Amino acid sequence: MYDKIFRPKKMVLPNGKIVLEKRSKTPLILLVLIISIYYSIQLTNFEISIIKDRWNEFFVIVWEMLPPNWQYTSKLWEALLDTIKMSLLGSGIGALAAIPVAMLASVNIMTNKVIAIASKVLLSLLRTLPTLVSALIATFIFGLGTTAGTVAIFLFTLAYVGKLLYEQIENVDMDAFEAMEAIGMTRIQAFRYAVIPQILPNYLSTSLFCFEGNVRYAAILGYVGAGGIGLILNENLGWRDYSSVGMILLLLVVTVFLIETVSEHFRKKLM
Amino acid sequence: MIEFIDVHKTYTNEVKALHAINLKIEQGEFVAIIGLSGAGKSTLLRCINRMHDITKGKLIVNNIDVATLKGKEIRRFRRKIGMIFQSFNLVTRTTVLKNVLVSFVPDAPLWRKWTGVFSKQHKFQALTALDKVGILDKAYVRVDQLSGGQQQRVSLARTLAQHPDIILADEPIASLDPVTSKQVMDDLKDINQNMEMTILMNIHHVEVALEYADRIIGVRKGEIVYDGKAADVTQDILDDIYGGKREDMETIEQEEAYV
Ligand SMILES: Nc1ncnc2c1ncn2[C@@H]1O[C@H](COP(=O)(O)OP(=O)(O)O)[C@@H](O)[C@H]1O
Ligand SMILES: [Mg+2]
Repeated sequence: MYDKIFRPKKMVLPNGKIVLEKRSKTPLILLVLIISIYYSIQLTNFEISIIKDRWNEFFVIVWEMLPPNWQYTSKLWEALLDTIKMSLLGSGIGALAAIPVAMLASVNIMTNKVIAIASKVLLSLLRTLPTLVSALIATFIFGLGTTAGTVAIFLFTLAYVGKLLYEQIENVDMDAFEAMEAIGMTRIQAFRYAVIPQILPNYLSTSLFCFEGNVRYAAILGYVGAGGIGLILNENLGWRDYSSVGMILLLLVVTVFLIETVSEHFRKKLM
Repeated sequence: MIEFIDVHKTYTNEVKALHAINLKIEQGEFVAIIGLSGAGKSTLLRCINRMHDITKGKLIVNNIDVATLKGKEIRRFRRKIGMIFQSFNLVTRTTVLKNVLVSFVPDAPLWRKWTGVFSKQHKFQALTALDKVGILDKAYVRVDQLSGGQQQRVSLARTLAQHPDIILADEPIASLDPVTSKQVMDDLKDINQNMEMTILMNIHHVEVALEYADRIIGVRKGEIVYDGKAADVTQDILDDIYGGKREDMETIEQEEAYV
């Protein structure tokens, strides 16, 4: 189709052989991109002039954050711990729950096609739900506080790890599984002994990676009342107490950095 | 004893894999099943341990009517039937010993089943099985570091640890070189003679089949076209099994001839 509109370039070698070089698609793709960016700017009323006039406001706030309000730290520990607990608990339980759901979703393990497809749809639906929205919904059910945040993170982890896990399970080598069944194992036992050894390193790595991201998500869940440090951040932004905001952000950056470093270290070992 | 009485097997996609199979195999026989690929050899083996269900007829293994078994009974029944495969079907990321230990999982207490921590006695039995096939020194090596021949021996040890009455072997030497093939065949022969296990093997290499097996079963298009002593197999018979000669005369005559 594309070749019919943009005819391939003909090259004739000295000995008379003809090579057809297909036209590059890059210019066309670039054109489409530029057009769509133009229309998005129009649609969102984005104005370059605002950025030009107000970019220094950003530095005004940054300056006000300095120096951070060091005394404030003592009041933050509890909220920070809440945040970490929320993400740790939510990620842990979510990653565990992902195993049975991924088993149900894998067509090579689950012989009932209807259940497999239903589980896949469930995982996709969960994944389309932004964590902030599920946290908001959870606050209606469990009330304001860390439980709601934990539930939101649990759901996201379940969807994320579950999806990656069933894709791996479906790509696993089923030969050993067949041998285990022939030995007289149940399908669940065969899964334990033939499939888990193949997927375990990747599963742990995926779960850790998800946990890293969850610490960051957890920090903002307080915005919808789902507990943790985000709640205090929101308050202080409201009062324009920027030196306290600075302290919160500093603490968050350090925490996230530490957790990511540790988690990365273990993920590298797993690979 | 294994007895097929007018057994048919049709897959869900309407493929007729087995047609009117009648067969009687006594305990301790060494039988080779030969035939073109797609003839139904693997299907025939897998009906014996109920990896596949037959669609018609009767299949009796050690006085058990295989088709009547359900759930847990099937799993208990399979404990007495070992199986080895062309591609070894091992868990390659773990050690040789762990691959043999899986044999004991169905009989282990619940907590051991889940944790994969095995008793000293089971480890002892697994090591003994490895010793029997001559790779005791590889017990703590990861399977993916072994050669094909060694891997097939691991799978043989896994089967031996089960103490089966029957070993079903689906093309066990098809992915091995001639030298290691001979070692594996010698192992099987040894097991057959010294441990009184029935061996039922699908095999591509006719010369190897004739050399090791006592009895040859020729399968063509889901039907048995030869069943007799290995010593009695002639070139004509092989041509018939492999569909070389009398391609068109087909079914009816042969059905009568070999009932
Ligand atoms: N699981 C299955 N589902 C449907 N058809 C199958 C299945 N397994 C085998 N068949 C078909 O059954 C026939 C016999 O196959 P098989 O027993 O594997 O032959 P062989 O082992 O002699 O090569 C072939 O036509 C094959 O395509
Ligand atoms: Mg086969």
